[in-house]
Amino acid sequence: MTDVAQSGPAPRIISAVLGSPALRLIVKRLLTAIPILLGVSILMFVLLNLLPGSAALQLLGPQATPEQIAKLNDELGFNRPPVQRYLEWLGNFVRGDLGKSIVSKQPVAQVLPEKLAVTGELVALAFVISLGVAIPLALWAARRPNKIFDRISGLFTTAGLSLANYVLALLLGLAFAVKLPWFPSFGFTSISKGLGNNLYSLFLPAVALAFPLLCFYARFLRSDLVDQLQGEDYVMTARAKGLGPWRVLLRHAFRNSSFGLITIVGLNISTLIGATVIIERIFALPGIGAYLLDGILTRDYTRVQAIVMIFALITVLANLAADVLYAVLDPRIRYGSN
Amino acid sequence: MRTRTKVCVLLAGALVLTGCTKPGETGNSSNTPQYGGTLTVLDDAAFSGSWPTGLDPATNTTGGGNLTQMSAIYGGLFRLEANADGSNAKVVPYQAASGDYAPDGKSITIKLKPNIKFSDGTPFDADAVVFNIRRDMNADCTCKPTWQLDGTPEQAITAQGSDTVVIKFAQPTATAIAAFVIANVNWIGSPTAIQAMGDQFAIKPVAAGPFTVESDDLSQKLVLKKNPTFFIEGRPYLDTLIVQSIQGDQPAYQALLAGQAQAYEGMTTIPLLEEAKNNSSLVVTQQPATSPYVIQLNTKIPPFNDIHAREAIYYATNVEAIRTGLFKGAYPASQSFTAPGGLFNHSTIPGYRTYDLQKATDIINQYYGGSLNVDLGTLDAYVANQVDTELQTEWAQAGIHAKLHSDQLGALVQNFIGGKWQAMLQTAGAWDPAVGVGVGFRFGTTSPFSGISDTQIDDLLQQAGQISDPARRDALYLQVGQRISDQAYAPFILAFAPASVVTKGVHGPGLDTLIPPVVVNTAILWSDAWMEQS
Amino acid sequence: MAVTEVRGSSTPTVDDAPPPAPAGSAAWRRNFQIAWPAALLGLVLFACFVLPFLAPIPKPIGGSVLNSLLPSFSPGHPFGTDPNGNDILSRVLYGGRTSIMVALAVNLIGLAIGGGLGAIAGHLGGIGDSVIMRLFDVLIAIPSLALIVAVSLSLGPGVRNTILTLAFFSVPAFARIARAETLRLREQPFMVAAKLSGTPMWRVVLRHIAPNVGPSLMTFAMLGLGVVMVIEGALSFLGLGIQRPSPSWGNMIADGQLSLSGTPNLVLWPSIALFLTVVAFNQLGEGLRSRWSGGR
Repeated sequence: MTDVAQSGPAPRIISAVLGSPALRLIVKRLLTAIPILLGVSILMFVLLNLLPGSAALQLLGPQATPEQIAKLNDELGFNRPPVQRYLEWLGNFVRGDLGKSIVSKQPVAQVLPEKLAVTGELVALAFVISLGVAIPLALWAARRPNKIFDRISGLFTTAGLSLANYVLALLLGLAFAVKLPWFPSFGFTSISKGLGNNLYSLFLPAVALAFPLLCFYARFLRSDLVDQLQGEDYVMTARAKGLGPWRVLLRHAFRNSSFGLITIVGLNISTLIGATVIIERIFALPGIGAYLLDGILTRDYTRVQAIVMIFALITVLANLAADVLYAVLDPRIRYGSN
Repeated sequence: MRTRTKVCVLLAGALVLTGCTKPGETGNSSNTPQYGGTLTVLDDAAFSGSWPTGLDPATNTTGGGNLTQMSAIYGGLFRLEANADGSNAKVVPYQAASGDYAPDGKSITIKLKPNIKFSDGTPFDADAVVFNIRRDMNADCTCKPTWQLDGTPEQAITAQGSDTVVIKFAQPTATAIAAFVIANVNWIGSPTAIQAMGDQFAIKPVAAGPFTVESDDLSQKLVLKKNPTFFIEGRPYLDTLIVQSIQGDQPAYQALLAGQAQAYEGMTTIPLLEEAKNNSSLVVTQQPATSPYVIQLNTKIPPFNDIHAREAIYYATNVEAIRTGLFKGAYPASQSFTAPGGLFNHSTIPGYRTYDLQKATDIINQYYGGSLNVDLGTLDAYVANQVDTELQTEWAQAGIHAKLHSDQLGALVQNFIGGKWQAMLQTAGAWDPAVGVGVGFRFGTTSPFSGISDTQIDDLLQQAGQISDPARRDALYLQVGQRISDQAYAPFILAFAPASVVTKGVHGPGLDTLIPPVVVNTAILWSDAWMEQS
Repeated sequence: MAVTEVRGSSTPTVDDAPPPAPAGSAAWRRNFQIAWPAALLGLVLFACFVLPFLAPIPKPIGGSVLNSLLPSFSPGHPFGTDPNGNDILSRVLYGGRTSIMVALAVNLIGLAIGGGLGAIAGHLGGIGDSVIMRLFDVLIAIPSLALIVAVSLSLGPGVRNTILTLAFFSVPAFARIARAETLRLREQPFMVAAKLSGTPMWRVVLRHIAPNVGPSLMTFAMLGLGVVMVIEGALSFLGLGIQRPSPSWGNMIADGQLSLSGTPNLVLWPSIALFLTVVAFNQLGEGLRSRWSGGR
């Protein structure tokens, strides 16, 4: 890329863009994404093939005879060697064809968008809730470290980290759907029936998903803020200039700490899909989590691979976005270098 | 169908004898059914709420679990009906007008009701039924009937005129009609739609049942609308039926309390059942049990190739403690593969070795030097794990040390097929012991899931499946139970059955009345379900 | 990669000023910050690993089923009993052993393998670095649920296999941190000297990198211990993980929630134990971090 930018006779504007360190970073990272995605697809395929039992067995249940199982496995195409199946899948994938679900025969690309939308909305809402609570909480706690509010919020956030999210989900349902009938205890209302109804149906699941995140972010941000406030020269300078504590906290310390927070949020995305499956199950949401879990159990590799690749891509892009954002916020960062 | 009535009298007698079932709350049956309403029924995502391969009877793999979905969409040639207290259960023609056995038992003749139409307007005639049943016989589902046809499906399944279907068997098959109620051949789809829709038929089937498919998100949510051209005038009562998959008993219980759902099929968690019974907004109907828990012993390898080891297990197993402690007395004990809700029930077997710790200890001391190690496996599930844990505790008192392993499905089946397993906690039996996977599956010599190799049992089971006289079948099954008991092949524990839970004001056969479960859950008669309108 | 570089802004480096000698109430406070979680942790460990030998506590399995589901504060069963009639107090204590051992093992594996590979990658740089880190990127890019379920199903149940499954999470995380910390060391004079003098790699890693990277890995491990205990519960929820009837806090909570409104004490007591332990590990981690980073 640099060669083109520097030696080519391209107009200055193009050479400036191509030579821009931000773009070089993006291109470089996108190129490294290819081997990562390939590795992800191979590893997942190998793991699915290592599972004991077979697709047919999972589908037919404990009462199937070995003959029935062998027949169905043949019909599903599992009699072909794994390498051949993988290469076929890869060939289709590269051409943009996600294939049909082995189990339901539905085209994956037809089912996926709806389910992705549900999960995407749930995760987005959870991020909004968790950051919306975590940032004020951390700021307030960091303003007077080790004082009473900091201590209480410290215990509260540790409790949140140690609480199983499925227990929290059920407790939220018992409290705010059964005892106080404010929210639905399960189900999803599509956005086509109004944004209000849609958000209303996702509120409890989003809170259940957001709570551990919130606690994690609040803890992370609080200790980073405390470090900034107590150690960094620019904070001392700002203080010496007579800036009020909130101004120092918001304008200087928080600005710096937000870099770390952004990166953590970016990294959390692939972990979140693990948490969503449990929350989606308990609230019976038609999201991607349950679809993925069923896919693994039934060795439905076209389905699993499609989802895993999408999330791997999202993870790579999210990390890239975090890096770019980070670089934009802090020009001192050297692009693409370690 | 003449023979059915005898069977049912027998069944009713069994129910009275054990007194295990109490009628559902139908006391307010002064209410006449009302029309309208949307009912949401919850089904466990691990079983009946899972339909990953769709709802086409010829291509799905979970039809036996999806009785609600299938019967609401397809209706059924036959269905299992019973009195409100579960007595007099019998298979009756529904979309069929009649079903009769030939005198030699080697064929059945099904007459269809006239003028039934599929919801796409095409006729529900003999050709359509033949088309479906031939197609179903190639299915991969364990819900495919185990019939041995006389020749290929094309030769054995034929139409005679527009309203008569004949199915020929290679040998007498006296349970062919009873088999319909849990088999894919019961559900007839529109041949025109099947041919036109391809794979899409499994997602949105077109049939002649009480409801038609509005939308279908596999293993998640099925929205069904009243079928305006349903063949029974004035049915169904409900405008809309929604089948919603849910993650187990606790979320289902919360959804019922929150008023978002009106019915839940198959609640089994004891503490929640007790809670639900005490809740005035819910009606809990404990369905009659048909399948007992059994400890399968592998009599082909040590230690259980020796009858002494098997006897020790019988004597060391305290069924009463399990029944009253673990299950709070909710389910009846059984000494055979039958249960009070099913046909041919014999809850006690003469000479059955009941709990006697001293005898168990003596055997272990005398033959095994005071200590016997065994492997006890099961399919990894909450209740099965609890029973296994309790068995381990009880057996340890006699010096039998059980190593427990509860496996996922894949590993479990590998264990069975590998033949190295020693003991397995499983369920056995069905409403009719010859129907579905049947008793031969657990106790027949050729089944890979059996630990028994006994030609006498094989012969008895074969005969019982071929004759239609219920008294003779009863005698044969009793002999099988006696043989299993005498040889100490497999101790039975108790017969487990799910409960239906509905909110107040919801009524229907199988919802607030009893119907013996044919596979695991009761087949609810959705065309007759209704809700009180406020 | 980026995450750890960012985090580096608040993690110690060798050229951080050594903590000033603590004096007076500040010293007391600093010690207290470490002492109370250490004492709490000691209490938890004592209760789980020693108490069952000293006090007349029943075994976690083998209770009488006729005492099934007794409420909390029943005579002889202060926390009540489970559906099998087993004492919940005993199951919490014995379950703690399993949960704590799993968490320790997972983090030790992460520390040793992930930390080692990360340090080597950071030290090597170039192609070796790229290869190692891309492999970990693959693990991180797979949705954690897909990875955990597939690995756990392939390996089967049991304590050892649960540890191996969860190590798939801890190893890449430790590797990233170790690598970033190592990169920060590269320009240090002693590292340059070691490189120039041709010291073998294993020696550099052990003698120079490990002592400097160790503290941040240790604090990360402290926080990670709690996380692993919670994830172990998520595995149990999915029907995987520690096999019943052996107790672990995770599988006790996961089984208890099946009838949460009927038998809340099945969930309550192991949750409290888990909470106390996570608090102890987290606060201890924070306290140590604060001490190592110069008393902030």
